[in-house]
Amino acid sequence: MPTEDLNVVDQIVNRIGRAPDAVIPILQAIQEEYRYLPEAALRRVCELTEITPAAISGVATFYDQFRRRPVGKHLIRVCRGTACHVSGAERVEDALRRLLGIPAEADTDRDRRFTIETVACLGCCTLAPVTQMGHATYGHITAEKLPRVLRDFLARHAHADTAGTGDEEDRQNGASRARINVGLGSCCVAKGSDRLFQALRQAVRDSGAEVTVKRVGCVGMCHRTPLVEVVVPGRPSAFYSGVDPAEAGRLVARHFQPRGLRRWLSRAGTKTLDSLLAGATEEPITRFALGHRDPAVTAFLGKQEHIATQHFGRIDPMDLDEYLAHDGFAALRRCLTDFSAEQIVATVERSGLRGRGGAGFPTGPKWRVVRQQPGEVKYVVCNGDEGDPGAFMDRMLLESFPYRIIEGLAIAAVAVGAHDGIFYIRREYPLAVRRIRAAIELCEGRGWLGARLLGADYPLRLVIKEGAGAFVCGEETALIASVEGQRGMPRLRPPFPAEAGLWGKPTLINNVETLALVPWILRHGSEAFAAHGTQTSKGTKVFALAGKVRRGGLIEVPMGTTIRQIVEDIGGGALAGRKFKAVQIGGPSGGCVPARLADTPVDYESLRAVGAIMGSGGLVVLDDSDCMVDIARYFLQFTQDQSCGKCTFCRIGTRRMLEILERICDGKGRSEHLIELERLANTVTQGSLCGLGKTAPNPVLTTLRYFREEYEAHLLGRCPAGRCSALIRYQISAECTGCTICAQHCPADAIALTPYRRHAIDLDKCTRCDSCRQVCPYGAVEVQ
Amino acid sequence: MTSFSITLDGRAVDVTPGQTVLEAARKLGLDIPTLCYLERCGPLTSCLACVVKVDRNGAGRLVPACATRVQPGMRIESETSEVRDARRTALELLLSDHVGDCLSPCHRICPLGLNVPRMIRQVQAQRLDEAVRTLREAIALPAVLGRLCHHPCENGCRRGVCDSPTAIRDLERYVADTALRREPPSPEGTGFPRELRQEGHLFPKNRPGPDASSPRSTPPLPAAERASACPPSSGKSVAIVGAGPTGLTAAYHLLRDGHACTLFDRQAEPGGSLRAVDQTTLPRAVLEAETGLIASLGAQFKTATVLGRDVSLGDLERRFDAVLLAPGQLARDEIQALGLESTGTGIRIDVRTFQARAPKVFAAGSALKPIKQLIRAMSDGQEAARCLHEFLSRGEIRPATKPFSSVMGRLEREEIERVRSCGSPAARVEPAGGVEAGLTDAEAVREAQRCLHCDCRAAGDCKLQYYAERYGADPGRFSRQRRLFEQQARHAEVIFEPGKCILCGICVALTRQAGEPLGLTFVERGFDVRVAAPLDRPFADGLRQAAADCVKNCPTGALAFKESSPAGRGGEA
Repeated sequence: MPTEDLNVVDQIVNRIGRAPDAVIPILQAIQEEYRYLPEAALRRVCELTEITPAAISGVATFYDQFRRRPVGKHLIRVCRGTACHVSGAERVEDALRRLLGIPAEADTDRDRRFTIETVACLGCCTLAPVTQMGHATYGHITAEKLPRVLRDFLARHAHADTAGTGDEEDRQNGASRARINVGLGSCCVAKGSDRLFQALRQAVRDSGAEVTVKRVGCVGMCHRTPLVEVVVPGRPSAFYSGVDPAEAGRLVARHFQPRGLRRWLSRAGTKTLDSLLAGATEEPITRFALGHRDPAVTAFLGKQEHIATQHFGRIDPMDLDEYLAHDGFAALRRCLTDFSAEQIVATVERSGLRGRGGAGFPTGPKWRVVRQQPGEVKYVVCNGDEGDPGAFMDRMLLESFPYRIIEGLAIAAVAVGAHDGIFYIRREYPLAVRRIRAAIELCEGRGWLGARLLGADYPLRLVIKEGAGAFVCGEETALIASVEGQRGMPRLRPPFPAEAGLWGKPTLINNVETLALVPWILRHGSEAFAAHGTQTSKGTKVFALAGKVRRGGLIEVPMGTTIRQIVEDIGGGALAGRKFKAVQIGGPSGGCVPARLADTPVDYESLRAVGAIMGSGGLVVLDDSDCMVDIARYFLQFTQDQSCGKCTFCRIGTRRMLEILERICDGKGRSEHLIELERLANTVTQGSLCGLGKTAPNPVLTTLRYFREEYEAHLLGRCPAGRCSALIRYQISAECTGCTICAQHCPADAIALTPYRRHAIDLDKCTRCDSCRQVCPYGAVEVQ
Repeated sequence: MTSFSITLDGRAVDVTPGQTVLEAARKLGLDIPTLCYLERCGPLTSCLACVVKVDRNGAGRLVPACATRVQPGMRIESETSEVRDARRTALELLLSDHVGDCLSPCHRICPLGLNVPRMIRQVQAQRLDEAVRTLREAIALPAVLGRLCHHPCENGCRRGVCDSPTAIRDLERYVADTALRREPPSPEGTGFPRELRQEGHLFPKNRPGPDASSPRSTPPLPAAERASACPPSSGKSVAIVGAGPTGLTAAYHLLRDGHACTLFDRQAEPGGSLRAVDQTTLPRAVLEAETGLIASLGAQFKTATVLGRDVSLGDLERRFDAVLLAPGQLARDEIQALGLESTGTGIRIDVRTFQARAPKVFAAGSALKPIKQLIRAMSDGQEAARCLHEFLSRGEIRPATKPFSSVMGRLEREEIERVRSCGSPAARVEPAGGVEAGLTDAEAVREAQRCLHCDCRAAGDCKLQYYAERYGADPGRFSRQRRLFEQQARHAEVIFEPGKCILCGICVALTRQAGEPLGLTFVERGFDVRVAAPLDRPFADGLRQAAADCVKNCPTGALAFKESSPAGRGGEA
């Protein structure tokens, strides 16, 4: 790197600061500039700032975000979340590597064009498996689709695709006009709703219709994205799902007559052209229409109650006035004028609200502890480091309801007497970061944040700290270490952050969803909230429903709803021809609840009793094609990767557990391995220092508890689900017509091309990539 | 605030507020293991070997004692089997990721437990008094064994993987011969014939090299290194039947433990089967010199005495506090004549105690089953002596404890060169004077330099080893893919072995406290965490003013001083 380049480092340091806690933002800015962290730049930072070499190297090597080697021209991220894992993410990665010529031990091809990176979870679980190329996210990827997806990406890249999420657009839309609402959460964008959004805008401009194309937050029905709602005042709304951007023109035309003749003529001309181009096979646009009376939609929405996600799919996430028109900031205003801090805390206490981040610690008492701490300086932190693979509730809430979360955090600050608030948001959620940042700026613009909160005599400064890629930072003490610019290493509690947290000061840390519920509770009262849910678990819970289920999405249900109601009524049950086997609740800290316990209500105590935890609300449905030993191995791999490495039990214990599971999946397990696995799992649970280690064995312990026979089958060399590649064989049955498609698609040349004759698989060459089975039109490829 | 009371393993302890559970436990004299705890660093809570169980509202939780502050009414379990199991597991997990051997493979293999690398370092530094002491701690007849041993140690020698093993047996013989040459005449004039010390008898003439100088010119051994330095008498006596390798070895160790020994042998001279070895391989003078040494320790020899003819077993039982039968192979009827049980191959014993008949008849060596290898016969004698010593001094015999050792296992291909560079590149030294002459001083030093010193510099001064032994930790509990051996030796005084580092964090904290300009830091995450100097600089650059402090407080052998001379390792007296 030439020396003059380091001027950029000087500028970054001037912009961000020189204190030790500036290290993570500085490194993020350097990486933004160079796309990796050049050694010379790090040395320069140490010269310019109070950051020590020990601190900078420690931090730069701790977080996943930071790259210490140059990256290829295009960065491709393969999501390894739970839903993606069970949907074949490994095969996608293998196929991608073959396609790009990147060997298994490398991450970049020889020409430095592509770099592959696996990410723990992109939080688009309903679209699994998901791959992110540059800034574009692609869902439902298969090995077969990859070449096409890659071409699309390179084409978009070449044309510098400007499709946006509307965040850059100005907002002057009147409320009374007709609207076309387009869901623009990250999942929706991944399914192309950004392009649909642009196409609809163009179509409206072309037609001259008096209609606003509006970006709204997550609709929740992720399985139907892109989702469009046409709202004409005085008429029932019309829903469309799965609309292609090419059909935007006809959709607009169907609802809104063009204004002038000249435009009508031009429109008619296009229409003719369209129909000519599309040909006679094209179905009418009504194919996509959904009504609220559509049984599937009714079933999906029927059991839900929306508190954290109130007004979902209707309001523009960034429209502050619209938020105000929907009771926004009313609760905060009352907290600043009518309620004493004591009353706020008491209300939250009486509501029975418990933390939605995982352990379910009662929120009110936590606030009280912080409130009672002496001293002028206290902090409130919104924990948006939602790292569980298979969970995306917090992302959706931050993206769709940024003002609501700000309001919740502000109420918490007023209640405990804090004047500084921090949003800690994981960097894998760029849209959430952008929207919260923009929302804070808009509030500041009106003078509602900063010196006078909502104009009252109460200073509150809000800042954003972006995580740098470390699951463990969801743990309170690790989060604090990270904000302070250190490696995200947890420490022993007590003392709890409520007593001695950030910079040693009392610190309240609440999860995003917890804070999203707070304004509602203050507006409607604790009794109204406590009326939802069960005896010990009040209110509602947002779940990310994904995996092997017909209707995946973001749902909010009252506590106490049973797993069966969620999976079967809301989710529509297992996929065609498959059998619902288990749900994985709570991610890597949670457990697998078998189908026979599906009548377990979802509340903190009931889930704990069956060995799972509520966690943050990831709910991945598994069916009979999923191997439970493989699921346990998958989660151990995750926690093992994400362990901070501080304490012996977690650092080495989870690794040894993983090694045993790998041995079992490879068919090399013996019965004493099961005994050792269970024994070690119990010790790691008891002995680990923080929550990550203490809960890491849960996926192993619950699968051992409910699916021991699957482990035992592996010891005998059999994987009942046909998943563990060392234990399965592919064969071609007599159904084969000799069409040669399998042979053409086999990446390992394991199938000889024998036209019109039954094909055969060379098992020595076969990599068990499943391509042949997927492409065979006759179902002739069997797995044994 | 005033002091209050907590309950520790059922005992009430008065504590002061702010104290940790560890401090309270140490006050009671409980040795809770800690590896990462150093008071001035504060609790680092990384090793988790110090866990205790704290009862909280009826639910017990394991917490690190070093960081948990006492609370009024706290109930703590420390020495329960559950807590000890958890600590043992922590130690076993650390050992599963600990690349190194406490004891070298040669040392572990040696049936007599000779600390080979220590002896070799003493040879290399020409501190022969110390080398003799090391040798004689383990071996009764080293000059004999140094000529006859089938040296299983050399089969385990890591140097053998690189080129050819270090000549351990030759070095052993070199030390033993040197000692015999320097042995002063016994003050009592017993047993050790003066003429054997004369050059012509003990050593071949025309011995080349510095050793050709007159043995009289070599200084006598200091008293402490002399084989004849015996502890005060225990007042107990042992009859040993058979003055062959097993019996002589047993006598040697028993004498050193203060027990009087009388050896009965049917032959006219002691030595048993050793007397049948040809004189070129084992000059008679060497055998006699070493049996003479045993005599100088106080052994009484009753030669030309046959058990059952000249003396009966019952007699011996009456006259002595214990009897050890080591007469070599016996026929079934001979065993029966003694009133003992036969296994078909020899005398039946309780295999753990060598006891043939309660209370005081023991048997060892080929009398149990035929032994082909000399060192096996000697190790039988050594172990029988241990049992007899236990029997005589305690009345009960505890099972043998093997010293704990972490085990690195077989070398990977990538490691061979790294390991080889720990010794001189020279080829194995063959004695220029031929096998009979043995190594000269210069040759011995040259060969000693080839040793790779596979043992740990911190062995005996390592908390991990200490607690692993105390907790009976099994270093092989978890089979795993181990890290590669690595040694960073660029620092002037300190050697760093990352594979032995348990990531306690003490050196990271100490370098920070010392204000090291570069210092040390943790890099990477999870299982890949390592201690390193920051900014990809060499480790040596991170350790300047705090080096000595860090080495001193490293709980394992990850950080160790290089020695000015290889024998300069601390605590190797």
